[in-house]
Amino acid sequence: MLTDGASKSRLGSGHILVRPTESNGARLVDATVNCPHMSPPLWALNTCLGLHAAGSRHVVYVPDNPLSHVLAVLRDRYPDVQTTIATREEEAFGIAAGLYLGGQRPTVMLQSSGLGNSINALTSLLVPYQMPMLVLISMRGDAGEWNAAQVPMGRAVERICHAIGLQTTTVASAEDVADTVALVGKTAFMTRLPGVCLLPRRVTVPAPKVVA
Amino acid sequence: MTRLEATRRLAATLADDPVVASLGHPAYDLFATGDRDTYFYTWGSMGLASSIGLGLAMAQPDRRVVVLDGDGSLLMNLGSLATSAWVRPKNLVVVVWDNGVYGTTGGQDTATKHGADLEAAARALGIPATATVRTPEELDRAMARTRAEAGPWVIVAKVEESAPTTKPPQDCTYIKQRFMAAIGVRESD
Repeated sequence: MLTDGASKSRLGSGHILVRPTESNGARLVDATVNCPHMSPPLWALNTCLGLHAAGSRHVVYVPDNPLSHVLAVLRDRYPDVQTTIATREEEAFGIAAGLYLGGQRPTVMLQSSGLGNSINALTSLLVPYQMPMLVLISMRGDAGEWNAAQVPMGRAVERICHAIGLQTTTVASAEDVADTVALVGKTAFMTRLPGVCLLPRRVTVPAPKVVA
Repeated sequence: MTRLEATRRLAATLADDPVVASLGHPAYDLFATGDRDTYFYTWGSMGLASSIGLGLAMAQPDRRVVVLDGDGSLLMNLGSLATSAWVRPKNLVVVVWDNGVYGTTGGQDTATKHGADLEAAARALGIPATATVRTPEELDRAMARTRAEAGPWVIVAKVEESAPTTKPPQDCTYIKQRFMAAIGVRESD
């Protein structure tokens, strides 16, 4: 996506944008997603720092595009963290429940749309049995969304979590992610309930800066 | 054989193996054969017993983890078999009580009564060790093989519905705490 002659700048989030030049006009190119030559975005590095600091060494997940950055960081920099992909979010929570019973402190990663696939596992297994885990939700349907089909669940995520007895904490910025994820995870494991940390799109897929 | 007879037969082959029982009649029958601290009874999350067993088998690789599932429950979460086949925990044994009905909800037919073959599905999804058993002796032999041959195992046991008359403890945190203590795991703090 990067065109010759364009000047590149690496933002704090690892986000590359192409500044307007004569050849590309004023078009801003979002090159955040899946560029293997780029250093990982700060929010993804911090997510891994946070879950590791919370004592989690096993991540069960259903992938989404922003989470691919977290998975790449885990693969490249955290050999002590095992990852397992599930076919469906509800299954991921079941596997994580078993990991907890076996002595692990699991993390479950999913996209907000997958919360809808998880409700029965949360309400009839994790909450009544008081099984703690760190739950990282990559948000869709919040500010920056382009797909209308993602909006209804995105808007409902917090209210659904609260309705079934789960606290949610939204990270404020890429810089804030490590501390927030670690705190939510530690709180979950100390209080023995799933702790939900929301990763909003303005952090995971930051819009290109508007250049005058 | 009825599910209760099969469960009694299977329980006799267990030492201190942790067992995850699917909600409803599989859990009730397991309790009826003699409660043990190593039994994890689920009271909800239909379909997830095999997933809980997978996580437990990953976390406790030196223990043989036995899951008692139902045909209706496993049909809800066939993806679990694909994941187990991929992760390939040698120590996971999923026993499916296949009676062709949703026993806990009044005996409505499941798809296995109309042609669905769960052992074939397990094979197709990559499970390396499978069996279908119809008698107590076949169940004994299959359970003996799970000690000698690497899993993950899926054993489909064709059973008749039995009518449980007792229920396991209903306090979920009690079930969890005593189970974790029985397998020597400390809760997080």
